[in-house]
Amino acid sequence: MLEAREITVNYGLREAVTDLSLFAEPHQITAVVGPNGAGKSTLLRALNGAVSLARGEVLLDGTSLNSYARRAVSRHIAVVAQEADLRFPVTVIEFVLGGRYAWANAGAWGWETERDVAIARVVLRETELQDLDSRLMNELSGGERQRAVLARALATEAGVFLLDEPTANLDLSHQATMMRLVRNRCDEQGASAVVVTHDINLAAQFADQVLLLKGGRALAKGSPREVLTSRLLHDIFDLQVLVDAHPTTGAPRITPVH
Amino acid sequence: MTRRLRFQQRRATPGRTLAICFALLLALFCVMLAAAVIGSESLPVSAALRAVLTGGKSASGLTAEQRAILMDIRLPRILLAAAVGMSLAAAGAGYQALLRNPLAEPYLLGISNGAAVGTMTALVFLGGHEWSRPVMAFAGALVATMVVYRLALGRTGTSPERLILAGVIVTTFLSSAIVFITTLMDATRIRSFTFWLLGDLSGTTTSLLAVALISAVVGALVLAMNARSLNLLMLGERDAFDLGVEVGRVRLTVFVAASLLVGASVASSGSVGYVGLVVPHLVRLSFGSDNRLVIPAAALAGALFVIVADTVARTIIAPRELPVGAITALIGAPLFIYLLKRGR
Repeated sequence: MLEAREITVNYGLREAVTDLSLFAEPHQITAVVGPNGAGKSTLLRALNGAVSLARGEVLLDGTSLNSYARRAVSRHIAVVAQEADLRFPVTVIEFVLGGRYAWANAGAWGWETERDVAIARVVLRETELQDLDSRLMNELSGGERQRAVLARALATEAGVFLLDEPTANLDLSHQATMMRLVRNRCDEQGASAVVVTHDINLAAQFADQVLLLKGGRALAKGSPREVLTSRLLHDIFDLQVLVDAHPTTGAPRITPVH
Repeated sequence: MTRRLRFQQRRATPGRTLAICFALLLALFCVMLAAAVIGSESLPVSAALRAVLTGGKSASGLTAEQRAILMDIRLPRILLAAAVGMSLAAAGAGYQALLRNPLAEPYLLGISNGAAVGTMTALVFLGGHEWSRPVMAFAGALVATMVVYRLALGRTGTSPERLILAGVIVTTFLSSAIVFITTLMDATRIRSFTFWLLGDLSGTTTSLLAVALISAVVGALVLAMNARSLNLLMLGERDAFDLGVEVGRVRLTVFVAASLLVGASVASSGSVGYVGLVVPHLVRLSFGSDNRLVIPAAALAGALFVIVADTVARTIIAPRELPVGAITALIGAPLFIYLLKRGR
């Protein structure tokens, strides 16, 4: 369970995030929506303890994040960032096994256990990468690589997932697969997820809670139906949008009006 | 699952690592033996082997002169070559993973030059006390490492271009420091110095050899113990942090271990270039990128590489000798170009 209490993050003199609170509840997906530079990625990095806070605190299971060892944090929080940096030939299975680092036994020179490998095989199947396990990461397509990044996060067995544009490189069917996998972790294992996305319709479909960010401040927070209104979206993006109900799911459906 | 995999794409396991290291160790032993009997005075193989295995006590089949050549000249030199090769290749693999740059290498980053300045400072200003040389070389390497890292550090981490530029700056700056110190020496020592600067294995002492061997093993072990963290750092500091690596602590450990390796090797034999570049490359090309396999395999292959290079250096224009650094660069640079051309 991860909670941010009125956190402020400064980058130099600029406040990137101001007095923001967020509660990542078990079983729930929180979508963070806002224009470029609204502080979405900074918020994720603050939730992971990767940037220092000027004010406020982040609590993991009720205890300040700062009091945990780095390894312990990584057993609880998994991050799916954009595009890994690949200058060396690394195979998909090696990459995914990286997710087991925080569980490593210090005495064994960091060799993976059979359990680690079994977990990696399971998540590779879930992300439909099982046939590519021995391929090199830089031979994969952008979408396959993005799925490998998700697979690595799933392999951590963390209870909190922080996802930064997880669907940016994915085609429609893999977008749905990706979000369904996150959804399953939340439904079945009580995980919580915070997803930064530019895809508002995806947020409307999969999120339980939507946080609208502008200029580092929370403009609104609530269910997709409450928050994704044409008035609020106009405030955030300076753009006329048409909001109606999705004919089959009933979730808000957003169409820009040009 | 009958797909055939390139050797590079097989996952590193403890068993596979041990098997590869054992094979390399066997090859290293054969190369050591060959290097011991090859030279201006050829020695009989079986007698030489017997003499080496008994620590020089049983020298039957060898004349007294041959025994002296083997035990007092060739063997220390071969062991030094092994220590230097092991040190530079392991340090290269460590720097490459940590700095996420396949081109990072002690020589090209100016770290060898830092160690050289340290050694020369010890020689010229501290009277050349035997222990002051490796200590000052280590200090010089560590300072050069820190400076290169600081210079290469941009707002979003180190980019490969910045790193190489930083290496060029540090190298040229330290080169002028070396020239400056050289002018303070008397003329008779300058020639042997120029030789040493290019990497020369002929002028060692027992204690320097001991320091080089111990540092090589200790440094390579420390790097190998951090290999799994390096695997993640290879994918970027941010990813590594997210996955639980204590980035600052691992970085400092790797910098200190690599500086120890480079310092001990430079103090005993000058700057042997390209070993740290070529050997880890070949190892990764053959066995994949997992540092738990790459670091020990590179250490052993590096020892092998420098012994071969030094044997060539002392036989190719016999009775005269080349500095070993000239040979490693001669083998290393074209091989490196070939590797680049072949892609990946």
